[in-house]
Parts: sequence; structure tokens; C-alpha cells
Amino acid sequence: MSSLPMAEVSETVDMPRVQAASRPPTLVCMPAITADALHTVIDRLVTALPYGDILIASPDAPPDSHIDSPHDGQTVRTVPYPPQPVHAGWLLTAADYLAAANLAREHNASTTLLLGPEAASLSAEALHALCATVIQGADLALPRYNIGPHEGLVNAALLYPLSRALYGVESRMPLTLDAAFSARMANRFSVVARKPVSAGGDPMLWPAAEAAVASFTMREVAVGERVLPHPEASDLNSLLARIAGSLFSDVEAKAAFWQRARNVTPPVVAPPAAGQANPASSEDMEEVTSMSESFRNAYTNLQEIWSLVVPPQSLLALKKLSLMSPEAFMMSPNLWARTVYDFMLAHRLRTINRGHLLGAFTPLYLAWVGSHIRRADGDPAAAEQHIQETAAAFIAERPYVLGRWRWPDRFNP
Amino acid sequence: MGQQISSALRQSMDRVVIMLARFLPGLLAFFVALAVLWLIGWGLSALLRKLLTSVRFDERVARKEDPGSPANLADWSPSNSPTLLISRTVFWACILAGIAVGISAFNASYSATPEISLFLLPYLTHATGAILLLLIGTLLARFLSRSVLIGAVNAQLHYARFLSLGVKWLVLVLAAAMALDHLQIGGTIVALAFGILFGGIVLTLALAIGLGSRDLVSRSIEKTIEKPTGAKPADVSSINEATETPRPKLRHF
Repeated sequence: MSSLPMAEVSETVDMPRVQAASRPPTLVCMPAITADALHTVIDRLVTALPYGDILIASPDAPPDSHIDSPHDGQTVRTVPYPPQPVHAGWLLTAADYLAAANLAREHNASTTLLLGPEAASLSAEALHALCATVIQGADLALPRYNIGPHEGLVNAALLYPLSRALYGVESRMPLTLDAAFSARMANRFSVVARKPVSAGGDPMLWPAAEAAVASFTMREVAVGERVLPHPEASDLNSLLARIAGSLFSDVEAKAAFWQRARNVTPPVVAPPAAGQANPASSEDMEEVTSMSESFRNAYTNLQEIWSLVVPPQSLLALKKLSLMSPEAFMMSPNLWARTVYDFMLAHRLRTINRGHLLGAFTPLYLAWVGSHIRRADGDPAAAEQHIQETAAAFIAERPYVLGRWRWPDRFNP
Repeated sequence: MGQQISSALRQSMDRVVIMLARFLPGLLAFFVALAVLWLIGWGLSALLRKLLTSVRFDERVARKEDPGSPANLADWSPSNSPTLLISRTVFWACILAGIAVGISAFNASYSATPEISLFLLPYLTHATGAILLLLIGTLLARFLSRSVLIGAVNAQLHYARFLSLGVKWLVLVLAAAMALDHLQIGGTIVALAFGILFGGIVLTLALAIGLGSRDLVSRSIEKTIEKPTGAKPADVSSINEATETPRPKLRHF
């Protein structure tokens, strides 16, 4: 995995800055961790959090057992984890947030650290930075992992730009694997998650959006490397449909918030270097060729369905994209932003069956991925620039979605 | 001779007038029954709509439904409103009941024996059933053809449209055959024609898929044979490694 400079993202909190003091305990919830990894995480937690008591909750941890701490006066013990259905595995769900929030209230915890699967790969510094950010006053601390230019693509293409444009939150990974939050943020999660969890299913929760709507402070913390868990056996179409469907539903539910006039600061995008041609490597080019061919096939077959969702000029732009050679294959960030907004609106209006809508969205997402590969060419800086251009395009096209959302029939750009 | 002709004509005229006199009240009774049931249906549907709107029925249903599921009530409702679906169903049920009551009233006033009603009512219900079958068949055909089209495109099959059309016509032919069978029209000819058509479509699709996917299947079999038995989850994940090596490994999540 390649590294991004941590200093560019956020200030990493140094360990000695937070003083040990008598304070409410820190709760650490690990709903999806293996027994072996649990011991590693506990060792790192004891190192990382030298202040206050630590309560550890995990389905795999024996309840009410004490763990020796090298720090004077510090108590580290496990607490019973509430019984709940088997965890989805690779993702934190609303049920996990609800369980953590309930435990935080029960034990009067001031800070809650919720860790997802493969949390054993997080360093002690990362665990400390997340908790310290909340102790220092933030309501929500979300991690930013060092990932390569070809990783976390759904976050880069859809979740980050959309969350930033609509809610003004600068979290590169809204679909987070770990989170630290304050007691009042926990209360908010408890209120928000209770209904969907009791309704059944496996609903998701978008912590950054919740913090924005509640006007709570949110900070992103660079945590370095982390092993990203693999989704369990399923295909990209169903996973993307689940994530995008949940996000679009959440956007619909929070329409009253993001429709209000807000000053969203666009990211600073460095102009492309003069004569930048990005001659992609042969491996990358092979991938782009395959993706452009797939997109041509998708355009031929799905044009009829897309025409129900996107306006004619976007359809024309998609047609031009389908005719591009692999060497020139590039979906413009503005076209991608408008397409996402059109699909979001169609999801709200139920223009077509939502399953079909989200299925028809997959080839468009893969077209963005193809453009991203070609643009990045394995260079993290170029990949980051493309992601920031995409985020800027989402912000620039905000008036478009506002207009279409308010007057879906009348507004015809 | 003239008198006989005149008498025959008068008697025939009398019979026609009497028949008309019996027919008109029956017709009137039919329309009155229809109008009354229409009014009842309209009132009931308006009441239901108001009641369901006040309890936010649509929102409750939407909350309980899984967004990606094809069995969502809202997706099958007019204007995506389950409230509208229920109120319209009640309204049309009342209209159908009005037609049935009207025919019965018409027959009672028209003839002493309920022969017409005995013939008309079952046929009417059969016709309604056949229309419903066709309607459901058309909806199902459209839904399935879109599902197949999208699924095939996402599986990067080049004959996606052909596959989708095949599925659409399979369901349409099945629905038409069921409707005709329900109406008891055609008898064995329909069954025979349906068998030939259905079999033909299935054979065509099977040949198309078999010939078109020859390489895909052979590659898949080769992969299965070559794959080690104790593969790690990361190795078998098809989500994050969108393509085979040596291409760059893509991680979507």
C-alpha cells in the first residue's frame, strides 16, 4: 500500500499531550473481531490510553474479567456485550452504533471507540489519536487510512464527494470502519439507530452526516495503515446497490438540512501539469480498455433505462463517452456529479424500481473507476487530484441538484 | 289474408314492445346498481385514502421495506403510493361488484329464468380473471426483462438485450396462454401452440447462451480445477479484485 502524508490530512495527536486524570471511562466496542485479534487490540489499547479506566465490550470477550494495566490506578475490564444478531462482518451497521451507544450510556462513558473488523491492524498511535480527538472536544472522530490509488474507490467516487457537497463534511471515508465519539454523539446515534434496527434488516448508519445534521463537531484523524476487510461473498452490483441505496435514502431523509443555503468550501485543486498526458502503464491500460468496452456494451443495452433517469444532454455525453477510445476514455467529473445527482433524484421519485435503478448505476460507477485508473496511473498524487476534482465538481453542481430536487418536473436544465 | 298478416304483425309488434318494456327497466336497474356501487366505491376509497394518509401509511411501509428488494409494495403501486393502490383496489372491487349486481338485476327483470345471468356471470369473472392474468403477466415480463438486462450487462454479457427479450416473450407467451386457457378458448390448440412457442424460445435461448458462453464456461471450469482447496477469503473475493492478475488490484470498498 502506498502512503499519503499524514500531516496533510490532519494533525496527529501526540501521546503525551493528553494528561492522565480522573475522568469517566473510555468504552471500546469491538462487535466484529476474532478472539486472537482481541488480545492484540487490548494490548495496544492499554498502551494507547494511559488515562482513565477502559471498558472493553466484545461478543468474544469474557464479561467482567480484569486486565492488568501498567499504569497506576487504571482499571481495564471487560463488560458484557448486548446480545444481537450475528455481525455483518466487514462493515459497521446501525445495530453496532446502537449497541455501543447503549453501553456508553449504561457505563457513563465519556468517549466511545467503536472498532470494526481487522482492527488489530490499527497501531496504538492510531487508537490514541482517535480517542484523544474526542477528549479534546470533538464529538466525532473519523479515521483516514493510508490507502493506495486503486483502493477505497466507492468512498472516493461517491461517498466522499456527495457527503462533502451536501453536508459540508470533510471525511474522506464516510463509510468508516472505526469511529470515536462523545457521549452526546452516542445519544444521537442511539436515537437515530433505534427505529431502523427495531424494524429489522441490516440497516446502515452514516455517522458523518449525523454529526453534520446535529451541528456536532467532527474531525478526521490520520491513522496510517490499516488492513481493509474484504466484503463477504457477494458481487459488486449488490454491494454497491446496498451502499448507494442506503446513502440515497439517508440524503432523502436529511433533505431539509442540506437544502438550506450553506457555504460549502470547494477543495483546492491544483491545476494539471502542463502537457499532462498521463500515458497509462500497460497493466492500467488493459484495465481501462476492458472497462471502456464494458461501458460501450452497457450504453448499447441500458440506454433506454438511463434515458428515464438522466436528462438528454447527460445521455449525449454518455454516448460520447461510450464512443471514446480507451486511450481517451475519461468521464468528466461534472458529468459524473450530475449523473449521481440524477440517480439520487430518481431514487427519491422512484422513477423506476429501485433495484433496477441501482443496478443500472453500476456501469456508470465503473466508467468513473476506468477514468480514475487512467488519470491516476498508479500515482497517489494524481489519484488524489482526480478525487479532489470530483469533489469540486459535486460542489459546483449543487445548484443543479437543488433545482431538480425542488422542481423535478419543472426544472429542465 | 290481409287480416291475418295484420294480426301477425300486431302480435309481433306487441311482443317486441313487451320485450322492450321488460328490457328497459332491467337496463335501468343495471345502471342504477352500477351508479350506487360506484358511489359507494368512491366514498370508501376517499375515506380509506384520508385514513391512510392521516396515519402516514406510505411512510410506514417505506420504512419497513428493503430499498433493493423487488417485492416492495411501493414499487408496484401507482405513483409509488401504497395508499393509492389500496384505495384504487377498493374502488375497482366496488365497480366489479356493481357490474355483477347490475347483471343479476337486469336478468331478474328481463327473464323469469336466470339463464343469462348464469351464463354471463361466470364468463364475466373468467374475463376479469383473464384480464388480470394478462396485466400481471405484462408487469412481470417488463420487470423480469429489465432485471435480466441489467444483470446481464453487469455480468458483461454481450447478448444481454437478446436474453432480456427472450425472457420477456417467455413470460408474455405464458401469460397469454394462461389467459386463453382461463377463458376456455382454443382448447388443445392453445396448449399445443404454447408448448411449441415456449419450447422454441427456451431452445433458442439455451443455444444462444451455450454457444455464446462457451469460452466463459471453459474458463470458469479451468479456474475451478486450478483453484487450491484451502483458499483464503481474500483470494476468492470477487468484489475488491475486479480483474484477474496481473492487472492492478481494484478495491471498491
